[in-house]
Amino acid sequence: MTVTSLAEGRPAFARARRRRRVPTAWIPYLFLAPALIWYAAFLVYPMLQSLYISFFDWDGLSPTMTFVGLKNYIDIFMSDEVARLALWNNILWTLGALVLPTAIGLMLALALNRRVPGSTLFRTIFYSPAVLPLVAVGLIWAWVYNPNFGVVNTTLKAVGLRTWAAGWLSSYELALPATFVTFVWSHVGFPMIFYLAGLQAISKEYYEAATIDGANAFQRFRHVTLPGLTETHVIVLSLAVINGFKVFDLVYTMTYGGPGRSTQVLGTWMYFQTFQYYHAGYGSALAWVIAAIVLVIAIPYIRRMSR
Amino acid sequence: MFADVRNQRRLEQTLLFISLLVLSLIWLTPFATVVMSAIRSQGDLLSRGVFSWPKAIAWKNFSEAWHTGDFSIYFRNSLFLIFIKVPLGIFIAALAAYPLAKMRFRFSGAIFIFFLAGLAVPVQVTLQPLLVMMKQLGIANSIFALIPPYVAFGLPFQIFVLRGFFRLIPSELLEAARLDGASEWTAFLRVMLPLSVPALATLCIIDVLNTWNEFLIALVLISAKESRTVPVGLLQFQGEYSSQYTLLMAGILISIIPVIVIFIFLQRYFVAGLTSGAVKG
Repeated sequence: MTVTSLAEGRPAFARARRRRRVPTAWIPYLFLAPALIWYAAFLVYPMLQSLYISFFDWDGLSPTMTFVGLKNYIDIFMSDEVARLALWNNILWTLGALVLPTAIGLMLALALNRRVPGSTLFRTIFYSPAVLPLVAVGLIWAWVYNPNFGVVNTTLKAVGLRTWAAGWLSSYELALPATFVTFVWSHVGFPMIFYLAGLQAISKEYYEAATIDGANAFQRFRHVTLPGLTETHVIVLSLAVINGFKVFDLVYTMTYGGPGRSTQVLGTWMYFQTFQYYHAGYGSALAWVIAAIVLVIAIPYIRRMSR
Repeated sequence: MFADVRNQRRLEQTLLFISLLVLSLIWLTPFATVVMSAIRSQGDLLSRGVFSWPKAIAWKNFSEAWHTGDFSIYFRNSLFLIFIKVPLGIFIAALAAYPLAKMRFRFSGAIFIFFLAGLAVPVQVTLQPLLVMMKQLGIANSIFALIPPYVAFGLPFQIFVLRGFFRLIPSELLEAARLDGASEWTAFLRVMLPLSVPALATLCIIDVLNTWNEFLIALVLISAKESRTVPVGLLQFQGEYSSQYTLLMAGILISIIPVIVIFIFLQRYFVAGLTSGAVKG
């Protein structure tokens, strides 16, 4: 009774606020709770469940699962020729992604950074493929590569290189490189804008100082520009590798893993195994191989970003 | 001597401009061939080739593709998804980014890295369990099945960007609000969010594009036609009309026009957002 009467003696608003006040130490966690719960429930938990499934022989539908230990993982590396080919294709793809879009993007950024007329328009053009759905990109390029009516073969025939005309996406040797060209077309924009931002962050004074010291254009590039872009290199190259192992949409829409299985990558092979052949256990093991590779490669990137 | 330097500089600029022009024309060629194929009749295209000027503009390809391809269903689904997913995801991310940027508490570093690690998680490693989960929740095959994974996979990047942006906002402003008796919740809602509109808008644009474009999760979690999103629907359309080139190209254009328009008009915000945090400011 005494307590109540004491409380009644206070102004009404103070009472109301006192009742609502949460212990200060909880506040950050309350703000974090929705994101943490959502992220844990729909990203982390499925990921761990996938790890669990990867130790079983399971079709993804029936209630019975047979524990097989590490067999799925051993099969990936020992007996599944397609998985090994897919891993190799991912490695080739990633090596290509480290060099080609990155180098072209850097050159474009260096050019656009020099106040060429129309540089905003050029930037828009080179970046625009990157905002398209990759399914559309794949279909656009399937048309570009069309053996009878596509631009590539039409152009080759027009300039007298009829013998070079090919079924780009139906050839065992050419399908993967042809798909990769599409990837370059659609992804050059990322390194380009990252390098542009990086270049604009380098102080003009360094260039002036280098010029006064008698450095020529190449020396300025070598000793001012490149070191100034170190941070950007980490981001751009990490993203190239991470995305190189995640590749799925383009291969799925352009070649469907074919001809034969020549363009399978881990991402598509995982999809085929799990959702076409109903080898959910094996598919989950494949998915975890991708995840393990990407997470390890991403460590420097994540450390850089957490600063 | 100065004239020499100036001439050399002008020559360099001209060569640079010409190279960029040639390269950008190459970059535009795929777009151009899609447009040139979409606006004519199939007979015209096959007999005269993609480089020739169309005899007559066949606008009806677009209406035919829109109807036969059922794009109205896919557009409705994708737009519905965007209107729910984008605000929901960004609000949750902002809530989490606030203490990570402005409060000191145990495990804050670990929690932030826990979120960041999500940037490297391939979608594939969650698909099969997500499919089972959505069946258990009774929303498999519905557009709602996409909201949980889309929000979850969006959080790492959004939390990263918003934390970076929130840190730039002077703590004195929050301090002043607290002295006026505002709770942390009010400070967040009335001070932090209004000051972060540029970052929030940028994230919205990026998120709208990502949601519109996402393919793999939608492919696995949804098989019913009524619930398909634009990319899955477009691929389905391609499967059915793969040799009707003009119709197919019209369908492709229909599905990319929204993102092209958004990108062209809002690219300034978009580009700034993508590189934010990549370079020490």
